[in-house]
Amino acid sequence: MVEIAEIAVSAAELKLGTEPVAGASVTLSHAAPRARYSLRARDAKVLSDVIGRALPGRIGDQADGAICLGPDEWYAILPEGTAMPRGEGLPVSVTDISSRALGLVLEGPGALGVLSSGCPLDLGKMAVGRATRTVFETVEIIVWREAEDRWHVEVWRSFATWLWNAFLAAIPGAHG
Amino acid sequence: MLLIHCPYCEEARPEVEFVYGGEAHIARPLDPSTYSDEQWEEFLYIRSNPRGRHHERWRHTHGCGRFFNAVRDTVTDVFETTYKAGEARK
Ligand SMILES: [Zn+2]
Repeated sequence: MVEIAEIAVSAAELKLGTEPVAGASVTLSHAAPRARYSLRARDAKVLSDVIGRALPGRIGDQADGAICLGPDEWYAILPEGTAMPRGEGLPVSVTDISSRALGLVLEGPGALGVLSSGCPLDLGKMAVGRATRTVFETVEIIVWREAEDRWHVEVWRSFATWLWNAFLAAIPGAHG
Repeated sequence: MLLIHCPYCEEARPEVEFVYGGEAHIARPLDPSTYSDEQWEEFLYIRSNPRGRHHERWRHTHGCGRFFNAVRDTVTDVFETTYKAGEARK
């Protein structure tokens, strides 16, 4: 007879924390609720005129919460409730995706080490204010270096519980 | 880790952000209804599979999201160059 041992942790037991967790040199917390928009256009000028905001032209640059993800794609992280014109009839796409993702914040001198435990980019070389889509292990994230030691991480809701716990596991001295 | 230079991001990025997209510069039929079975076979299934320089598509899925082309040596796995979609074969 084969004995089947229970695995140590099942996904059902993982919990998405609600309160900030502090380790020795890094704090993990939720970002404030935000409005999020996916912005697409071949011509950035047309899109910029529609939404009445400047859009960064270089991939990885960020201006007032609008991140240039690709040649025709921007991701805007704005204060909760921010409305946007849709540009009906114009060759642009302005889509409200506020509920699709959560923002997690890693802050402190140890934050870079926590992110680097699962992200293959050389994040230490990332300039403050830059942002990019990338992965943490196999989960897609958007990383935005808000300050030298403050990182805003966007993750799809369905992956947030896993990511929260992956961060916890990488924070020295943290207890979730 | 293998690094791939994305011609859109203009950065060397980790391979795990990319997805391989098969041989490059294979044009879709302009008028599919006129294609014979042999032409469809050629278009769908026949690839050059060289030993050495291979022109291939990659997509920076977990980055800028763009498809682009690369020349990779199938013996050494070294990327000779990458270039934007739509640019001439290198
Ligand atoms: Zn790219």
